[in-house]
Amino acid sequence: MFPDRRSRDFLDPQALSRLAGLPLFSRRPMMGSVSGRHPSPHRGASVEFAEYRKYVPGDDLRRLDWRAYGRTDRFYVKEFEADTNLRCCLVLDTSGSMDFGSTGITKLQYARKIAGALSYLAVQQGDAIGLSCVAEGMVQNIPPRRNPAHLLHVFDTLEKTEPKDGTHLVTVLHELAETIRQRALIVIISDFFVEPEELRSCFEHLQFRKHDVTAFQLLDPQELNFDFRRPMRFLDMEGGTPVFAEPNEIADRYHKAITQYLEDLKQVVLATGIDYHRTSIDEDYEQVLTRFLAGRTRGRGVR
Amino acid sequence: MSFLQPMLLVALPLISLPIIIHLINQRRYQSVRWGAMMFLLAANRMSRGYARIWQWLILLFRALAIAGLIFVLSRPLASGWLGMTGGGKPDTTIIILDRSASMQQLGPGAVVSKLETARQQLAQSLSTLGSSRWVLIESTKNVPQELESPEELLELANADPTSSSADLPAMLQAAHDYIQTNQSGRTEIWICSDLRENDWDSESGRWQALRDSFLEFAQGVRFNLLAYPRPAPDNLSVRVTDIRRTQTSDGVDLLLSLTVRRDGEADDRIEVPVQFEIGGARSELNVEMVGPKYDLKDHRIALESSQQRGWGRVSLPADANPADNDFYFAFDQQPPLKTVIVADDPAAARPLELAASISRDPLLTCTAEVLSTDQLTAVEWEQIALLMWQAPLPTGSAAKMVEDFVRRGGQVIFFPPRSPSSAEFYGVSWQKWIEPESEAPIVSWVGDQDLLQNTLSGTSLPVGELRIRQYCELSGEVIPLARLKGDVPLLARAPTDQGGVYFCATTPAGQDSSLAVDGVVLYVAVQRALAAGADVLGNARQLIAGQAANVSDVTWERLSGDEESLSTEYPYHRGVYAEGERLLAVNSSEAEQAATPLEADKVAGLFRGLDFARVDDEAGNVTSLIQEIWRLFLVATMISMIVEAVLCLPKIRPLGGSPA
Repeated sequence: MFPDRRSRDFLDPQALSRLAGLPLFSRRPMMGSVSGRHPSPHRGASVEFAEYRKYVPGDDLRRLDWRAYGRTDRFYVKEFEADTNLRCCLVLDTSGSMDFGSTGITKLQYARKIAGALSYLAVQQGDAIGLSCVAEGMVQNIPPRRNPAHLLHVFDTLEKTEPKDGTHLVTVLHELAETIRQRALIVIISDFFVEPEELRSCFEHLQFRKHDVTAFQLLDPQELNFDFRRPMRFLDMEGGTPVFAEPNEIADRYHKAITQYLEDLKQVVLATGIDYHRTSIDEDYEQVLTRFLAGRTRGRGVR
Repeated sequence: MSFLQPMLLVALPLISLPIIIHLINQRRYQSVRWGAMMFLLAANRMSRGYARIWQWLILLFRALAIAGLIFVLSRPLASGWLGMTGGGKPDTTIIILDRSASMQQLGPGAVVSKLETARQQLAQSLSTLGSSRWVLIESTKNVPQELESPEELLELANADPTSSSADLPAMLQAAHDYIQTNQSGRTEIWICSDLRENDWDSESGRWQALRDSFLEFAQGVRFNLLAYPRPAPDNLSVRVTDIRRTQTSDGVDLLLSLTVRRDGEADDRIEVPVQFEIGGARSELNVEMVGPKYDLKDHRIALESSQQRGWGRVSLPADANPADNDFYFAFDQQPPLKTVIVADDPAAARPLELAASISRDPLLTCTAEVLSTDQLTAVEWEQIALLMWQAPLPTGSAAKMVEDFVRRGGQVIFFPPRSPSSAEFYGVSWQKWIEPESEAPIVSWVGDQDLLQNTLSGTSLPVGELRIRQYCELSGEVIPLARLKGDVPLLARAPTDQGGVYFCATTPAGQDSSLAVDGVVLYVAVQRALAAGADVLGNARQLIAGQAANVSDVTWERLSGDEESLSTEYPYHRGVYAEGERLLAVNSSEAEQAATPLEADKVAGLFRGLDFARVDDEAGNVTSLIQEIWRLFLVATMISMIVEAVLCLPKIRPLGGSPA
């Protein structure tokens, strides 16, 4: 799997081996190129019965269900579900704000861990993996492939990502919604510091393209709690004007603002039906992924 | 509001300390790289004004707490009327205390007099205000007297009430002289008075001079007037106007004339019980009075026939001013009225001798003696009531003798000599004789007072009927009592403190005038001068409180009167005193009893241009004029601190307050 045997700080082999026990399922039918674990919108050769269909001339006679003919005196063809692989596109936010981290790890480092693990898991079960890095535009775009060599390329790219510039997540998501072929698993890893209403249109766009959208929102505990004591000068990591604030004075309103934002985002998520995971980066990423994978296992079977 | 430590107000800029600390604190910020700027900006936008006001309030209360603390240390005074004294403790505080009789007036429903209230207020207020030196000028002696502390005012005997009047301009002059002599620094003059016109003499030219001289002081003199102007309506006062001992067929009677006055405008009928006390025997007479004044003429009180002399008292029931409810009097057998005539013209001397020796009262003995100038040394001046001088004006030892006589209260009438010399007496000298072509008529004379006063029934003396054939001109400062045509003084008076010095520009000799022929005027004038001279001779004398102060080197013995007065202050307290053989009855002056209070703008006019503050107090007032109110500011400081603390309390966040 790792031909160069180079260790990468965002990959923990033990955690990966533990996570490998859980399959990564898609919640919607995927359109892969080869057989795989995921449901397909087409009929295929799996063991899972799908439906009876009237025979039309040209159909393979081998598929005629003679028993049904015997009972009804009509010709029916028995159809089975098709299983296919999926294309997983990781969308990684590499904007300046992702460099923030008060617990010894930045949001970007955390995002790398998630992205790395998901890439590994996907490739391992024969799915294609692609990576798009987003900041003020599309910084990197690796189209989905499913060979291990490609995985190395993805890992290399992940390793080289650097947090800088502002976020134009919304534009890039619209762009991706159009450029990625229909029915893919799109995993967005970002802090989503964008107006929820703008995100709503992105998510709806992606849903419209029949993509299975998953969002990991990475937040630092300090961003949530805002527990500063002394007057602070907040330097914008994305190059905006600094803000001077007396935490005692502003904390209330900050909490109000962030609560409002999270509430709005929740509404957007519920309305669009995406798979949303709010993650505090002091949480163990393995647990986050376990929860994510287990949740998908439960939801499987919806075609 | 004023402050006892105004210098500490310099620290007031310290109220900006919270602002400075706030600014310093703001500079001690930390920088942090921050990702979630979107929420910070949203928080900044959110209800910013309200939070700003909150912050300003906290800052305001911090500043208020400091300001309150500074005010506490500056020891503020709740006075209102003092204004900003501006300089803190004065170097010298001069207390001008009006001890006059009217200051004994009681407040409505109070048992404390104006003077007593004033002393308490001054002691309390001045000890709060503080000063390096305390000086008291009281109204009897007008001499500055240093005090240890203002509390001494309460115990000092010469701050007690007297029956005399005050002379405010003289007291202020004494204060001025004190400041000038002692080169005192910033001075405060506290005047405490009931603003009686009689005491203030507001029309006097001395005020202008005082104002000018006080303005010359560079160190700043501040005047504080503690006034008690409230009059006492319905206050009654009694005054004996005349007292005579007469012999009748039944025995000896005392004829007493008195006046009862009522203050205010009321004219309802009231019955006043007047009590007479003579030698311990009391009698009472109810008088009914309607208007403001009631005169009782020659009330007859029987005496024992053996009683030649004595003293007594007329009393009214207690009212608003106890100082004018008693009037003391003393009586004695009239001494013989002796006149000395010095004349170089026998024709002139004879009418004078006759006029002086014919008694107006059968009980009186009048004698006149014609002497020459060199016989004067043999005269017993203590028994002489009148001196008539028709000779060149006295010089040398003769002049000295006559001056002493006048100073003792004697009366002198000068007539021109046949050959006038250049000698001067009291600044007046005779010029030359003038013989007008026709007899000069007398065109005007003073008929309301002095020698040519109208009779008691109001008819004027027949002065106009006199014929002046020749007269001698006068030079010098005189007050004319009668004038000839051409504004030539015929009878004039020289200004004197005691006694009377008159100049008559003609003689009674037939060649000079008809004074002897139309003798009524001459007789009346001579008898009046004689009576005035006799007043100081009798063994019973009526004195005005304060006026006999310069004879206090003679020891007096109190027979009746104020028990608490000091022997050195007897001349200022009403009562009856014995001085050797003589009986002295001391009472307050008529003006003191009747004086009206000065109007506020008139008082303000007297201090025009000077640093002047006035407060009107009332007798019996127990609330202090000034009070230290630092406690109030301390409470304000504490409240400010509590409010500030409450405002600063961190908001109670709901459990699990973080949105995560």
